[in-house]
Amino acid sequence: MHLVRPCTHNDVSSIESLVRDNHARISSLPRKRERLAERIEQSIRSFQQDASLGDGQFFLFVLEDTNTGELLGCSGIAMNNEPKRPFYNYRMDEMIHASERYDVHTPVSVLHLTHELTGRNVLCSFAVRPDLVGSALFELISRARLMFMRQFAASFSDQLVVELQGVYGDEGQSAFWDSLGRNFFNMDYASAEYHVATKSRTLLAELMPVHPIYVTLLSEQAQAVLGKYDESANETHNLLQREGFKPSPYIDIFDGGLVMLARRDKTRTFQETCVKTVRTGSVETGLQHMICNDQFENFRCGMVQLTDGLGDVLRVDKAAMSQLRLDDGNEYYFAKL
Amino acid sequence: MMVIRPISDGDLSALVGFAKGSGVGVTTLPDNPELLEQRIFNSVRSFRRSQPKDRCNYVFAMEDTERSTVVGVSAIDANVGREEVWYNYRICKVVHASREIGVHTSNKMLYMTNDLTGVSELCTLFLDECARHGNNGRLLSKCRMLFLAEFREYFSEKIIAEMRGVSDQNGISPFWESLGKRFFQMDFSYADYQVGSGNKELVAELMPKYPIYLFFLSPEAREAIGQTHEYTRPAMAMLQKEGFHFNGYVDIFDAGPVMESFVEDIRAVRESRVVSYHVDDGYEPSLGERTDFVASNRSMEHFRAISLSESQVASDHVRLSSKQADALRLEPASDLRIIPLRY
Repeated sequence: MHLVRPCTHNDVSSIESLVRDNHARISSLPRKRERLAERIEQSIRSFQQDASLGDGQFFLFVLEDTNTGELLGCSGIAMNNEPKRPFYNYRMDEMIHASERYDVHTPVSVLHLTHELTGRNVLCSFAVRPDLVGSALFELISRARLMFMRQFAASFSDQLVVELQGVYGDEGQSAFWDSLGRNFFNMDYASAEYHVATKSRTLLAELMPVHPIYVTLLSEQAQAVLGKYDESANETHNLLQREGFKPSPYIDIFDGGLVMLARRDKTRTFQETCVKTVRTGSVETGLQHMICNDQFENFRCGMVQLTDGLGDVLRVDKAAMSQLRLDDGNEYYFAKL
Repeated sequence: MMVIRPISDGDLSALVGFAKGSGVGVTTLPDNPELLEQRIFNSVRSFRRSQPKDRCNYVFAMEDTERSTVVGVSAIDANVGREEVWYNYRICKVVHASREIGVHTSNKMLYMTNDLTGVSELCTLFLDECARHGNNGRLLSKCRMLFLAEFREYFSEKIIAEMRGVSDQNGISPFWESLGKRFFQMDFSYADYQVGSGNKELVAELMPKYPIYLFFLSPEAREAIGQTHEYTRPAMAMLQKEGFHFNGYVDIFDAGPVMESFVEDIRAVRESRVVSYHVDDGYEPSLGERTDFVASNRSMEHFRAISLSESQVASDHVRLSSKQADALRLEPASDLRIIPLRY
């Protein structure tokens, strides 16, 4: 079966290849193995609710095919609540330079540097084997995070953030970066990305200009990609949209990519999730659902066939019960895929 | 003979004519008769000392006495930004650096300021085409130095002069095209006219207030920052010789440089001499040499200045022709103040 579980140290090389094969740039998952291993360690300690971690929690989930042991995707939640690492974004505001007396008015868009989204949990580290993009498994690995949040709602913020990858050229160049950030770093986007991956995003963000930026002064190419996302993120965008995420006036400070926001409780997963008593039984037919257990450290969310009838009881087959660590007779969250 | 005197009510038509001919970029001479009339009115009151000190604006007219025609004007504003808001961009440098990632970049930025509010300004130098020869331009400009030297307490410690910025033969300013235009949706000459007409609030309302990084501007625009129009280069060179320097302030429209100096540091102010005179009735000095001097009487209300030949000047005494003495409106037993026209 296919299930989502917290990552372990053994997953490092599988995650490494997922990240490598993915078209999207995942700044929250470093390409360097040592750094990636640190992130996995951080996730393991977060699932263990290790108090010494403080605010820097990060949960990394993996999608596993239990028949083959292969990892098909990963996804993460960054708590994004460390005061020493504020979350940098630009917020695009419109101002009108107007004079009533001279009957002139010019709308002027301005980018303001902001930490407004600090403290809102970020859905991040999303990577899926390329052939599965857009499939039910693609949906499972993304939405399993929301199932986890649903199960442990008190641990998470009310509002959620997703950063979509900005538009890139064929050689990985970003027009937004070239028009703005590059002037302060004297390096191309790939080098900056390397520093983000090997050091810290905050370190780079701190070097960006603090003054507001007039959009009209950016290059035409940069203006064209402002608040847009790369076509490789199309399916991700569609999935998020179905989930209830909305475009926002916030954009990524490096590549100008779109930031989407949602109220957690208004997401489709939160809205459509039900709780029922689960019993072991034989399942002949049914629709694809995801169902999760109630364990924090040993969280499991799997794709199962269910018949959700009028009754209060769901039947799940024995093998799935055991792999998902569900106990007969307990209540669990489930939702249609 | 060319004589400098305070402008008077009768000079309005000449001033209106100059405004039409001065073209784009001379914002203190707007093509607007009512405003020009107001300026004359203010100037007349200023020379009579009946204007509040911080609103004084002294306009000097150059009259060709043979033709009884005004051929040029120049002015000093005692206190800019008193009634309107005075804007400049200041060029700043910002360094972004991180040892950890080996970054050290330096960028220049334009910061909108009102820093020069309250400072005195040399402004509005205009000489009619027909008089642009010999020492006329110098006389018209330098007479103001004599006035400053004589009446220092009427002006701020520091004095500025805004130099016209770079524009092409069609009046197109590369700086404006790259910056202001994107915020105004109007052309430079119209915006310039509005400012010159005292409509600075239009600027206040429409220009970008946040700092502008220079890398956003076109190469031509960046090049033009702090550069003066080719027609204004001689005036700029003259100010530099007087000790004026560029201190990073530029015009918000065309990025022309603001030259500045402390009044006491201006060479002409420092080196001006007060001398006695005598009138030699039959004497006719020959003028128009590079070595000429400029002399003024020491009156504010009846200020007059003319050129003198070097041969008229001894160390503490000058010899005047009777025509010159009349032109200078000298009171008996008064002195003159003199400076060389060139260094």
